[in-house]
Amino acid sequence: MKRQFIRALPILLILPALQGCRKSQAPIAATVQAASYDSEADWSDSQKLVPLGYQETQGKRVFYQYCVWCHADASPAGPSNRSNLTPVPTLLNDGSVLNAQSDEYLQNIITLGGSAMGKSAMMPPYGKTLTPDEIRSVIAFTRAIAQPPYQPPARPGSQYSPK
Amino acid sequence: MSAEEMGRVSDRMRRVLAVFTLIFLGVLAISPIKDFRREWKQYKRSYVKYAQTRPDTKKLLADYRPDIDQVWIPGMNVVDRCTTCHQGIMQPSLSGSSVPQPYRAHPPIPHNVRDWGCTICHRGQGAATEVAEAHESTLAWEQPILPAKFIQASCGTCHYSDLPQTPQLTRGRQLLSELNCQGCHKLPGIERSAMLGPDLTSVGTKVSREWIYKWLKEPRTIVDKDGNTVVNGYETEDEPRMPKFRLEETQLRALSAYLSVQRAHPITPYKFDPRVLAAWSKNPELVSQGELRFKQMFCSTCHSLAVTRAGETKLIGGDIGPELTKVGSKVNPDWLVAWLRDPQGYLPHTRMSRYGWSDEDLYKVTQYIATKLTDSDLLTTVPQLGAPTEQEIDLGKRLFQEKGCASCHSIGGLNPQKDFGPDLSALGAKNASELEFGKSAIPHNLVAYVQAKLQDPASVNPAARMPQYSWNQADLDAVTTALLSMKGAPATGALQNLVVPKKEAAFHPAGSFGEVYERYKCYTCHKFNGVGGDLAPDLTYEGSRAQRQWIVDFLKNPQTLRPTLVLRMPQFNMSDKDASILADYMSVALQHPDANPASTDAKGFTSARVALGKQLYEVKYQCQACHTIGGTGGYVGPNLNNAGNWLTPAWIEAWLRDPQALVPGTIEPRRQFTDEEIKSLTAYLLTLRAGIKPQKSAVARPSSSSSASAAGAGR
Repeated sequence: MKRQFIRALPILLILPALQGCRKSQAPIAATVQAASYDSEADWSDSQKLVPLGYQETQGKRVFYQYCVWCHADASPAGPSNRSNLTPVPTLLNDGSVLNAQSDEYLQNIITLGGSAMGKSAMMPPYGKTLTPDEIRSVIAFTRAIAQPPYQPPARPGSQYSPK
Repeated sequence: MSAEEMGRVSDRMRRVLAVFTLIFLGVLAISPIKDFRREWKQYKRSYVKYAQTRPDTKKLLADYRPDIDQVWIPGMNVVDRCTTCHQGIMQPSLSGSSVPQPYRAHPPIPHNVRDWGCTICHRGQGAATEVAEAHESTLAWEQPILPAKFIQASCGTCHYSDLPQTPQLTRGRQLLSELNCQGCHKLPGIERSAMLGPDLTSVGTKVSREWIYKWLKEPRTIVDKDGNTVVNGYETEDEPRMPKFRLEETQLRALSAYLSVQRAHPITPYKFDPRVLAAWSKNPELVSQGELRFKQMFCSTCHSLAVTRAGETKLIGGDIGPELTKVGSKVNPDWLVAWLRDPQGYLPHTRMSRYGWSDEDLYKVTQYIATKLTDSDLLTTVPQLGAPTEQEIDLGKRLFQEKGCASCHSIGGLNPQKDFGPDLSALGAKNASELEFGKSAIPHNLVAYVQAKLQDPASVNPAARMPQYSWNQADLDAVTTALLSMKGAPATGALQNLVVPKKEAAFHPAGSFGEVYERYKCYTCHKFNGVGGDLAPDLTYEGSRAQRQWIVDFLKNPQTLRPTLVLRMPQFNMSDKDASILADYMSVALQHPDANPASTDAKGFTSARVALGKQLYEVKYQCQACHTIGGTGGYVGPNLNNAGNWLTPAWIEAWLRDPQALVPGTIEPRRQFTDEEIKSLTAYLLTLRAGIKPQKSAVARPSSSSSASAAGAGR
């Protein structure tokens, strides 16, 4: 009897000690998980919603104020100016054209305008109207709604990485 | 006991001792193991592992320490240890959704984490070192993380003035003001509009008791084909201003009785010119001519009508005034004539202009409204109410105050009650334990409570006096955001210093301009110095922009300047005198300091300059991408056909230098023109002159635009 108790003692001691190790793992409520900040209906399928992060949402705001007039097929006022222009401006979600362009290139063409990059002078420069952050956010929005979807380069670009 | 026995005993004792020693060591080891396995330390170690998979490992680990990181800002009550786990917050290379949380970089915002901490915006428990305690509501900490969807609420806690980056918050504040929430609740910073619900002092002269009964029962008049009552409109996403009160039959009878006897200012029927009556009353064209006039006068700029096309009913028109589809069955015809002649005589705070009606137009339009905008079935569901009894009227008067009607509607002799609803100035800081959830099954947190209360007040409190609104999801989220932003007075002096106060806008024109401005209610659509609507261009600096004669001509005969916009400026039938009073005041008082008429030298506009300007316009800068001249060009900016008669030289020069300085947020980008180029472009634009005649637009307009019915008459 006594021996049995002595043998059981370590177990009795260890059990409460182990109890202290257990974490109270409450599930994190769905509301806590960063839900999407805003969303944009896919341009080619209005039933599909593309979730947007903070930066992309800021880009959406800038786009619908400044860019929508020529880079979409409809504007908040109804018709789009796109069909009026030659060459026809690229649709913002046209991944087949824009996915191939780097962020730096897009940043430059928005900042400096079309003529500075050897493109149509009808694209005016926005470098003195928008901040660099705002332009970056428009690019982030472009990437988010691109069709076919945009795949970022596998590794962040570096001047030392092999071409 | 023999030695052999002794040896056996001590042998056993030794074994027991050994076992206990091991147990003791094991117990001692628990504490360091527990410490090693702490949640935040695990995140620290896995960040190191993650950083090693990235190309810029060295940079990512430059200021890595294996301890708890914290942002401590004593003045703002910030002790935030969030960066202990969220270690990549300041690393731009970790932005993008491919980076797993908690290591992702914070998106670029105007505030630096080091200066502000995290909980100022995101809420949650900053000092916590466990995931659940930091993010969630616990017994000791009831301010969980704010869901990303409502994060703009935090901007509003300090920024009392509206920011362009927070459209959701701005929309929410606008809704709180438009729906007159501050009629019952204390809501700091929300403007109490002059026009609440209509003044009901003489409502008995306007509508019948039956109509009042129906309206109180269901304050929305459009019914879809299945017979369901729907929110005021399908395509428009506007909240009806009158919410639904949950009234019982006796209450409906009593209130309708009380309101139908409110006839403080009786109506004397207007005597039309007998010649007009003789010419028109038998004319079969009367109603169709009235309809045409209704359209030509741009009533649809402010009022909508339900239009059924291809089996789909839509409200088409503006939302400034009430929807008018069935108004002919609603109002007393004599009242309608009196109202159209002088809206401000019935409602001093109305936003409707006083038009200069001719008897003929007035007769035609009122006849059109009374015969065409009707619904014979409108009141079929209303029981026979008969004449109001004394008892009903007394009960109605009591209910009018008990239900809070007096918070939005005034009736001579009844004062609104002070603080009718709860004070909401610190709602956004409330703990869940301070809220009443009743029997509802919603999660017990502030966001869920606010949304449930807004959608159906009775769901959390069956005895709630608050009426029911019908929100679409976006508006519900916007109002929730605005309410969550109200956290009361800042907790510390340092936070108080960070508050960005709301800019107080004021525009009180006096004299003859003030009188005309009030008569036509220019501010219903235009902004002057921050005061007014946003349907039409801001006129704060109109005197700098437009030439005086052009303003006069435009007021007499408005036409659209922007090809993408449908003309919505009504024909006021304005007299020459009124037009020149408005134009004189604008040219003198509504001036922008940057547009200095003395700085332009008209003599310098030589023909060589004009030719250079044309060259710059057409080739170098290709302005035709957005502007139309003579029927060709883009239609983003205004057409410049008549720029020489319309714009002042000083305005063109200042505009070319920096458009956003004159009109913040305007679309035209700021270019780097040289002074010579600005002069040349100005010279060229001033040569563009066209006679005042309706323009032809080369562009077909889509029929679905909101004012399609008005479009035909605009051009």
